[in-house]
Amino acid sequence: MRLAVEVERFSWRYPFAQRDALREVSLAIPAGEFTLVVGPNEAGKTTLMLAIKGIIPHSLAGRHDGTVRVFGEPVAQKNAAVLARQVGYVFGDPDAQFTALTVEEEILFGLENVGVPTSEIGARIRRASELTMISDLLDKPPYDISGGEKQRVAIASVLAMDPEILILDEPTSMIDPLGKDLIVDICGSLKRDRRMTVIVVEHNVEAFAPLADRVVLVRDGRIEREGAPRTFFDDVESLIDCGVYPPQVTQVFARLQRRGLYAGPLPLTDEEGVAAGTRLLQGAGRWR
Amino acid sequence: MGEAQIAKKTLLGMVPADSPFYRFHPVGRMALLIFLSVTPLFIDMPEVNLGLILVTLGLLWWGRVRMQQVRRYLPLLVTVAIFMFGVAFLAPGNRTALTPIRSVGATFYFEPMWWAFVSYCRLIAMLFGAILYFSTNRERDTLVALRSLGVPFAVSYVAALSLRSAGMFMEDFKTIREAQQARGLDLESLSVVEKAKLYTMYTVPLFAVALRRADEISNALFAKGYTLSGRPAGGGRRTDYLRAQYPVRARDWAVSVGLVGAFALVAALSKTTGVFSDHLSPLRAVVVGMVAAR
Amino acid sequence: MSVPRTASVGPSGEAVWATERGERRQPGIVHVVMLALFIGIGIVVGTLGSLAVPIGFVSAFWPGQAVQAVGGVWFGWWGVLAGMFFPFISNALSGSAPLPVSAAYLPANFLQSFLAGAAFRWLRVDPRLQTSRDWFVWVVIGVLLANFLGAFWGTYVLTWFGMITASARPTALLGWFFGNSVPSLIFGSILLKYVSPMVLRSKAFAKGWWA
Repeated sequence: MRLAVEVERFSWRYPFAQRDALREVSLAIPAGEFTLVVGPNEAGKTTLMLAIKGIIPHSLAGRHDGTVRVFGEPVAQKNAAVLARQVGYVFGDPDAQFTALTVEEEILFGLENVGVPTSEIGARIRRASELTMISDLLDKPPYDISGGEKQRVAIASVLAMDPEILILDEPTSMIDPLGKDLIVDICGSLKRDRRMTVIVVEHNVEAFAPLADRVVLVRDGRIEREGAPRTFFDDVESLIDCGVYPPQVTQVFARLQRRGLYAGPLPLTDEEGVAAGTRLLQGAGRWR
Repeated sequence: MGEAQIAKKTLLGMVPADSPFYRFHPVGRMALLIFLSVTPLFIDMPEVNLGLILVTLGLLWWGRVRMQQVRRYLPLLVTVAIFMFGVAFLAPGNRTALTPIRSVGATFYFEPMWWAFVSYCRLIAMLFGAILYFSTNRERDTLVALRSLGVPFAVSYVAALSLRSAGMFMEDFKTIREAQQARGLDLESLSVVEKAKLYTMYTVPLFAVALRRADEISNALFAKGYTLSGRPAGGGRRTDYLRAQYPVRARDWAVSVGLVGAFALVAALSKTTGVFSDHLSPLRAVVVGMVAAR
Repeated sequence: MSVPRTASVGPSGEAVWATERGERRQPGIVHVVMLALFIGIGIVVGTLGSLAVPIGFVSAFWPGQAVQAVGGVWFGWWGVLAGMFFPFISNALSGSAPLPVSAAYLPANFLQSFLAGAAFRWLRVDPRLQTSRDWFVWVVIGVLLANFLGAFWGTYVLTWFGMITASARPTALLGWFFGNSVPSLIFGSILLKYVSPMVLRSKAFAKGWWA
C-alpha cells in the first residue's frame, strides 16, 4: 500500500507562542484515501495541514521536530513547484488565496508556475471550471463573486494543477447551504471518479462523514483518535465533549445502541438511518 | 442584457467590450499612452498641444468611453488653471523685464501669463493622455503590454498585485465610510481637522489588514508553486498563457512603430530645429499684436 | 524544543535592529507581496489625501508622505521602492501630475521614503517611538528634513515643467513642505506608535535593508 502522507513524531511551535501547536504527531495516509480531520478550534488541524502542504516550514517561521513526508520524500526538501504539483491546498478563506485579477488568471497562475505548456493550459482550465461549475465566471474578478463561487474558484485553481493529494481546509465554513452542497458533491466526484487522496478539515461532519474512509480527531496538538467512520463515531459522548458533532442520525442510533435497543452498524446518512430503522422496527414486529 | 455584462471594467470606469480600442494589441495602446503623455514635453506651441487634446478627446469618443468619466476631471482642470495663472499673476518675476498688460485695477504681465498658458496646454495634454489610457485599459491589458515588452514576470506581477490591492483597500475604505454615514455621519458638516481625524481612523486599520494579507497571500503563492523569480522549478522560461491570447498583428506593429517613430521625430525636430517653439506660435503673434496695439 | 522568548516583553530599540545569533534573514515572497500591498495602500492614501484638499499640484494635505516614511522604516528597500512608485499611480488617478512629472519627482520620493528608514537603522531608533530620542530622530529627520529636501527637489520639477514661475518657488516650497509635514507628523506618528508592534512581529519586517 503506497503511502501518500507520512507524519513522524512531528512537533511545531509558532514564533512568540507559549506552547507547541503540534506535539509529536504521527499519521499515515494511504494513497487514494478520503480522510476527514475533525477537532475543536485551535486544536492544530490547520497547522497539520500546512505541514503536509509544506507551507510549514518553507513559508512560516517557527521551530519544528520530526518529519513530514509526501510520497516518501520529506517536504522540507521539496521546492514550491514540486509540492504544488503533488499537494493541492484550498484555504478556508477563499479571499486569502486570490492573487489574480480575474478567475481565469487565478486558475492559470498555478499552471504557469509549474511549467504546464501553453497548449495544455486551456484544456485544464476548461476541465477544472466544468467540474466546479464556474465556466461562466472566468472573466470576472475573483473578489466580485459570492462566497460559494469563490470557494469553487479556489478548488478549480487547485484541481487544474492535477495534484495527487488535495487538502481542503474548512471548505464550507464561509458559504451558504447551497454552496456547501456543491462543495460536497465536488468532493464526492473527486473520490469516485479520480480516486484522489483527499484530506478535508471540517466541522460540518454530517456532510463529509459518508465520504470518508477514515476520520482523524486532533485535539490539543495531538491525534487523539482515528479510524473508519463507523467505529470512530461510536463514542458519541466523548466526541461531543471535544466539540465534534457526529451526524444526527449516528447520534440517535448510538444512543439506541447504548440502551441495548440496537446492535447493527451505526448509520452515517439519513438513507442508512431509514434502512436501519426499518430493520429495527421489522425485527421488533411492529412494521410489516 | 445589462450594460455591466457587455462592458469591461477599466481602472477609471467602464468601456464597452466591443470598443474599437480592443482591436489593438495592448502594446500598441501603451505606445499611445507614451506618445500622448510624453510628446507634449517637447512641444511648446500651444496650438499643437491643444490639437493633441482634441485628438485625445476624439479617441475617447471613438473608443466609446462614457464621457461622464472624463467630466469628473473638469473641476481639477479649472483648479489647476486658477492655480497656474494665479501664480503667474502674483509672482511674475522681475517686473522690469516684462511687458505689462494693463487692465482695470490690476497689472498683468504678458510673458508669465503666456508661459502659464503654454505650460497649461502642455500639462493638460499629458494628463489627458493618461486619462485616455486608464479609461480604456484594464489591469490585464497593462500586464500583457508589460510582459510583451519583456518586463520580468516578478515586476509585472507586483504591478498587478498593487493595482488589485489598491482596489481592495479602496473598497475597505469606502465600506467603513459608508457604514459611518449610515449611522448619521455628515461629512459635509465636518471641519478640516475633523475630516483629517476621521481619515486617520479609516486608514490605520488598512495597515493591519495589509500585514495579515501579506502573510496569507505569500502562503497562497507558495501553495501555487510560485518562486521569487517567477521561473518554473525545472528552469526555463515561464509559460505565458495570457500573452498567447493576444496575437500581434501587422496593424499592431504599424501602430506601435508609427507612434514610436512619431515621438522620436517630434523630439528630434524640437531639439534640432525648434519648430515647436512657442515663439513660432501664430496665436502668440496675434496676442503680441493685440498687446502692442493697446 | 527550547522555550521561545515570551510574547509580553518586546525588544529595545537596539534589539529591534540587531539580528540574533543563528538568525538568518533573507528576502522572500512575503517581501515582494508586501511591496505590492504597500504600493496599493500608498495609492489609496495618496489619491484620497490629494483629493481631500486639492490645490492644483501642491496638495495642502498629502498623507502619502507618511506612508513613504513608515514604509522605509518597516520594510527597508521594499518600502523605499513602494514609496517611490506609488505616487505614479496616485498622481495619475487624482490628475495631480502627468507621468513625466511623476518620473521627475522620483528623487524627491526617494528621499522622502529613504531618510527615515536610514536614520532609524543607523541610529538604532525604535520604530515604536518609545523614548524622546526616538521622537527627536523621527520628527527632525523623518518628517522635517525628508520633506524639506523633497519639497526642494519637487518645486524645482514644477519650475522646469512651467507649472510655477521661478519667483513662486519659495512659496510653493513652503506649501509643499507644510502640506507633507503636518499629515506626516500626525499620521506617521500614529502609524509608528500603534502599528509598529504588529509589524515587528511579522515576516515582512526588514531588520536590514532587504530582510
